[in-house]
Amino acid sequence: MSLEEPEPDDGVIEAAEEVGVTTEGLDYDALAELVGDRLLDREDHVNAEGFVIRPDDVQDVLFDLRDEAGFDYLSCVTAQEYDDRYESIYHLKKYDEPTHELSVVVPSTKDDPRNQSANAVYRTADWHEREAFDLVGIEYDDHPDMRRILLPETWQGHPLSQDFSGEEPQIVTLREHANPLQEDHRGDDADTMFVNIGPHHPATHGVLHLKTVLDGEQVADVEPDIGYLHRCEEQMCQQGTYRHQIMPYPDRWDYISAGILNEWAYARAAEDLADIEVPEYAQVIRTMSAELCRIAAHLLALGTFALDVYGDFTAIFMYAVQDREVVQNILEDLTGQRLMFNYLRLGGVAWDIPEPRDEFFEKVRDMLDDMPEKLTEYHNLITSNEIFQLRCVDTGVLPPEEAKSYGATGPVARGSGIDFDLRRDDPYGYYDELDWDVVTEDGCDNYSRLLVRMQEVEQSARIIEQCVDLLEDWPEDEREIQANVPRTLRPDPDTEVYRAVEAAKGELGIYMRSDGTDKPARFKIRSPCFSNLQTLPVMSEGEYVPDMIASLGSLDIVLGEVDR
Amino acid sequence: MAPIAPIAAPLQSAPLPETIAELLGLDPNQPAVMFVLAFLAAGAIVSVLMGMTAVLGIWGKRKITAAFTDRIAVNRHGPFGLLIIPADAVRLLSKELIVPEGVDRPAWDLAPLVIASSALLGFAVIPFGNGIQIADPETGLAFVFATASIASLGLLMAGYASNNKYSFMGGLRAVAQNLAYEIPLVLTGASVVLFTGSLQMSEIVAAQNEALLTLGGVAIPSWFVFINPFAFVLFMVANLAEVGRNPFDIPEAPTEIVAGYQTEYSSVYFVLIYLGEFIHIFLGGAIVATLFLGGPSGPVLPGFVWFFAKMIAVYLFTQWARSAVPRLRIDQLIQIGWKGMLVLSFANLVLTAVIVGVIQSA
Repeated sequence: MSLEEPEPDDGVIEAAEEVGVTTEGLDYDALAELVGDRLLDREDHVNAEGFVIRPDDVQDVLFDLRDEAGFDYLSCVTAQEYDDRYESIYHLKKYDEPTHELSVVVPSTKDDPRNQSANAVYRTADWHEREAFDLVGIEYDDHPDMRRILLPETWQGHPLSQDFSGEEPQIVTLREHANPLQEDHRGDDADTMFVNIGPHHPATHGVLHLKTVLDGEQVADVEPDIGYLHRCEEQMCQQGTYRHQIMPYPDRWDYISAGILNEWAYARAAEDLADIEVPEYAQVIRTMSAELCRIAAHLLALGTFALDVYGDFTAIFMYAVQDREVVQNILEDLTGQRLMFNYLRLGGVAWDIPEPRDEFFEKVRDMLDDMPEKLTEYHNLITSNEIFQLRCVDTGVLPPEEAKSYGATGPVARGSGIDFDLRRDDPYGYYDELDWDVVTEDGCDNYSRLLVRMQEVEQSARIIEQCVDLLEDWPEDEREIQANVPRTLRPDPDTEVYRAVEAAKGELGIYMRSDGTDKPARFKIRSPCFSNLQTLPVMSEGEYVPDMIASLGSLDIVLGEVDR
Repeated sequence: MAPIAPIAAPLQSAPLPETIAELLGLDPNQPAVMFVLAFLAAGAIVSVLMGMTAVLGIWGKRKITAAFTDRIAVNRHGPFGLLIIPADAVRLLSKELIVPEGVDRPAWDLAPLVIASSALLGFAVIPFGNGIQIADPETGLAFVFATASIASLGLLMAGYASNNKYSFMGGLRAVAQNLAYEIPLVLTGASVVLFTGSLQMSEIVAAQNEALLTLGGVAIPSWFVFINPFAFVLFMVANLAEVGRNPFDIPEAPTEIVAGYQTEYSSVYFVLIYLGEFIHIFLGGAIVATLFLGGPSGPVLPGFVWFFAKMIAVYLFTQWARSAVPRLRIDQLIQIGWKGMLVLSFANLVLTAVIVGVIQSA
């Protein structure tokens, strides 16, 4: 992202008089009235209604919906190609009330697929639309930077478009690729220095490339360059059957032990799509195992953040990995796997708690009992260390309005004081039956994001404890782990659903469209890391290099999920 | 500056070459003989230091870091994994020496030599105890500080000649850091000189040799760490910055600028830089031991054992800091250096001067 981009119009969002809000929920008729003549058609998606509008009305309509109806959160942009048209879907939500959803459907013509960019309304549309352009081929007018994002600049064709042939070789000589080693005296008389941080760099947590312009030690401009770990996950899911073949993939998105959280995203979307009821007992097991994953993921985030701030000989990283190991062992007992759990099934889970159950529960309880002491140790070692505070308080500041505009979710949003957690606001699983709190910190800095994660570990421990209590007392003959799901799932054609769960990094959403076969016609992953990473330039411009590295660590991105 | 206390009998006799000359019955007044003997003595001490670096740098460091991070570290190569030392030495030396295009030779080749030798040079005047001291000039302390700071030149050369932006930033950071912390370091050292009234290392050691007071039958020696703990703390902090260890490992800062000035060095040059770094830490330890911890003095065991124990203790301290303390940011580091450490060290100097004046007039 360059400095020249137009600033978004920060309209004042008044929560009090949002159009379409009634006590029962969202009144789509009122919203339709707001959109008025610009509304071409109304579609019915499983999660929300879809408003079809003209491609040149996008900004207009979205501005109205944001400012008048309170849709301040662009969750995801899905692009897809039909036989007769291209289509972009803007999945809108509200940070205050994520169950208030609206899909804005923008069809564009087959021969010249273009529509107006939503970038002026929501900054997060920048990357989402670049991805849509890259993979599907829709062009967005007024977009500040219409380039490929995941694939190389020289890639020929758009892989998710219908006429793309994977058979044809990519006839691009090596010479045509940007040469990272070429001389780059950009502006010889300038005082700034361009430096490539990554794709191989100790602090990029994977293969991330930060094109950074430094003014002395300060960051004048930073542009994340992603796509090094793109593995066509969406396409692979489109080639798998709902019932069995898709579930293993989510484990590979956020592969830092957040597997079950990811699986749940797919499970939730597919279960809503095919109208499957999950037995309560299975929901409790899901809730417990998901929170175990969250603890493991947050502990690793803590450890790697310490690496970034302390240097690579810090004891904290190993401590965090050790404590995570305890959780990993429990997950291994439960799922038989340590990394790629593949534990959830549509309509339930793969198997029950391992026998002997008492032993398993005791192990979990031991872990929970040790947790407060360990967290105290981390607080002593990290958060109460004055040098650490010197480094992290008031650095990497992400104001809440920016966070919302960029669609930040998870600990990143909650560290900016945005009280948003899908587990509470859009309840699924067993969360709404349990007693726990959403943690927010309003420091908006690197320190707050770390604090949020550390406190979320405590909250997850609370949830797990209640789940264990429930599971222990569950009557033996009611331990139903799997609903009755047909062997082959064929949802009705043209059913569309967008469903999200609160993964370790934020809102992990899945959009699926069925075409009557046993495989989804379009499978779109809304990755929290993808949106969160977009906020890095906001956090780090004008800051020092070490703070940018710390901010990157505090975002806790996993490139597997950014690039998919 | 007059000595404030009558100097006790110095622990060490004549410098090492003269001692050897006397032992061999050679004439210590002949320059040729002394040259050869000094050469031999220097060789011996350098070998000891190299050995120490090999053990502590290759094996000890892993074990120590492992202990801090609840791991085991090397244990497959011989007893306690000790055979990792020759294995690693061979590995490091047999690696390809990659000379990147566009490096500024010979500055690029000289930098590792400068870094390693500047630290070694300082040991020429360090009294290890039991008469192991190559030379004992009257300006010993000034010599140590002067040679140790040559390393900054090496770091800048390495950073600047590497034709790499990370190296460049590392080199500049190193120089900024050393500038900011060398002055407090020298000033705090000077406060010790105010007490002893001499820059000569043997005199500084000797001045710490008598009992300060007796507590329950245990005589507390008049080490400067007990006389002026404030100066000791200042010196330890400045020393951490000088050797570039957490919270001051900013010139290398692996998660920020890859490896700083040493990014482009491989094989034997890499070894030399690493060696220089470790010997620099040992030299820091040696200076701390000499200035504040009574040099080789200590009960029962021979002097040089004590001396090495103190040196290694300082080394352990740097490793501890590395495992437990966050890294500062470069602007914070400079701020602490110029606004904090410098002021404090001047205050310390003035305070010490007043105390010395009071004692002398009393």
